[in-house]
Amino acid sequence: MSDDLKTKVQDLIDTMINPAVAGHGGFVELIDVQDNRVYLQMGGGCQGCGAADITLKAGIERLIKDELPEVAEVLDTTDHAAGANPYYTAGKA
Amino acid sequence: MDRLLLLLPTTTYRTQDFIEAARTLGVDLVCASERPNTLEAQLPDRFLTLDFTDPDGAAAAVAEFSRAHPLRAVVGVDDVTAVAAAAIAERLGLTSSAAAAVATARDKFQMRECLAAAGVPIPRYRRLALKDDPFFAARGVGFPCVVKPLTLSASRGVIRANNVDQFIAAFRRIAALLARDDVSVTGDGAEYVLAEAYIPGVEVAVEGLLIGGELHTLAIFDKPDPLQGPFFEETIYVTPSRLPDEVQRRIREVTASACAGLGLAEGPIHGELRVNETGPWVLEVAARSIGGLCSRTLRFGTGVTLEELILRHALGRPIVSLDRERRAAGVMMLPIPRAGRLRAVHGETAARAVRGIEDVTITAHRDQELIPLPEGWQYLGFIFARGDEPAAVEASLRDAHARLSFQID
Repeated sequence: MSDDLKTKVQDLIDTMINPAVAGHGGFVELIDVQDNRVYLQMGGGCQGCGAADITLKAGIERLIKDELPEVAEVLDTTDHAAGANPYYTAGKA
Repeated sequence: MDRLLLLLPTTTYRTQDFIEAARTLGVDLVCASERPNTLEAQLPDRFLTLDFTDPDGAAAAVAEFSRAHPLRAVVGVDDVTAVAAAAIAERLGLTSSAAAAVATARDKFQMRECLAAAGVPIPRYRRLALKDDPFFAARGVGFPCVVKPLTLSASRGVIRANNVDQFIAAFRRIAALLARDDVSVTGDGAEYVLAEAYIPGVEVAVEGLLIGGELHTLAIFDKPDPLQGPFFEETIYVTPSRLPDEVQRRIREVTASACAGLGLAEGPIHGELRVNETGPWVLEVAARSIGGLCSRTLRFGTGVTLEELILRHALGRPIVSLDRERRAAGVMMLPIPRAGRLRAVHGETAARAVRGIEDVTITAHRDQELIPLPEGWQYLGFIFARGDEPAAVEASLRDAHARLSFQID
């Protein structure tokens, strides 16, 4: 079941998500799917980006859940502090 | 399902905590930023791009959006977005302080004019035009004074001057700062600075939530590191305050009178006050919640976050408790020691191992250009601690910080 879901999530990432985030020099990698939770890692312009949380929770999670309602949550496993080239840089506010 | 619009600048630290709170509340979330999200074309009902520096324009754009996607609440997360959020809320008839009051709180000169008229204790102040010769501008200023921009936050551009020479240097340094590409100030904020009397004493921060015009004080933070200038870098915040109960009562009263004087009536406020033998002095009251990741020190009732409280209030949902947990809590904003590029961070594991430390979050990314105060506005990261007593929390934060080292080239 999880492998099947994993394949479907990967397909969404390849066809829908990565072509879009590539516009900001970013990419998303599927790390795992466990108990209907999708674990992702963000790279390129997404890693350390000030808008990464927005993109993940309001964007990527929504896109995945729309297509795969059985997905409970999408979780970010990225080490954002290691991002060397974020598209938007966070600052205090 | 309630639809919530969050105004999230791409440069804010506050995104994760507000989005998490929105998830907890199960709202239909729409995010607006000042620059386009990479998924905006795919999800036009989820993302908006708004010019936060044009509140009326933002309000018009959101009014158009809300015809097809009605909104239950709109919340800004910082000084700039608070003004835009208030304008949007006013236009749509949503819960908020009046847009004019929030805009007044955003401008340090207008704020002081308003607070002075309301009889709130504030430092003596003057607004000075940047086009003027600082030598002549200094004539009407007493010393020591603090020179600051009208609209920047996070102590950016705030400089103490003890004499005319220091005043002229501070004046010119702020003028240069306001001309930087990464500073987007307009109107009076680009044309004036504020000079105000330096108030000796300790400094505290007040976190509050206004509901129907009544201020509910959520926390008073002590700032145990002395803030005497020449720059005012904030480091450690610890709550509850160790000041005497009577002093804390006066802090709450003065903050409430400042909110009333400004006309703020709904939503979060963050106050900065100096306290000395004559009582509390309001340095500022902003119509927003605490900045950075500092809100993670606060838990209410059964573990509710500050962001959830703010969203519950905006959405008109019940709030079970506004009482902060009993344990002491604190945060240290990790200051940038010098300009350069961050190459490495050492000692995180050792810092996390310190008793009482809950988390160490490094927010600066590798190879990031670091700009210290007064020109900079960022932190290297944040350390969080909890303990039975405020003194223990402060000690934990200092111990953890001592175990960190930063390689900056």
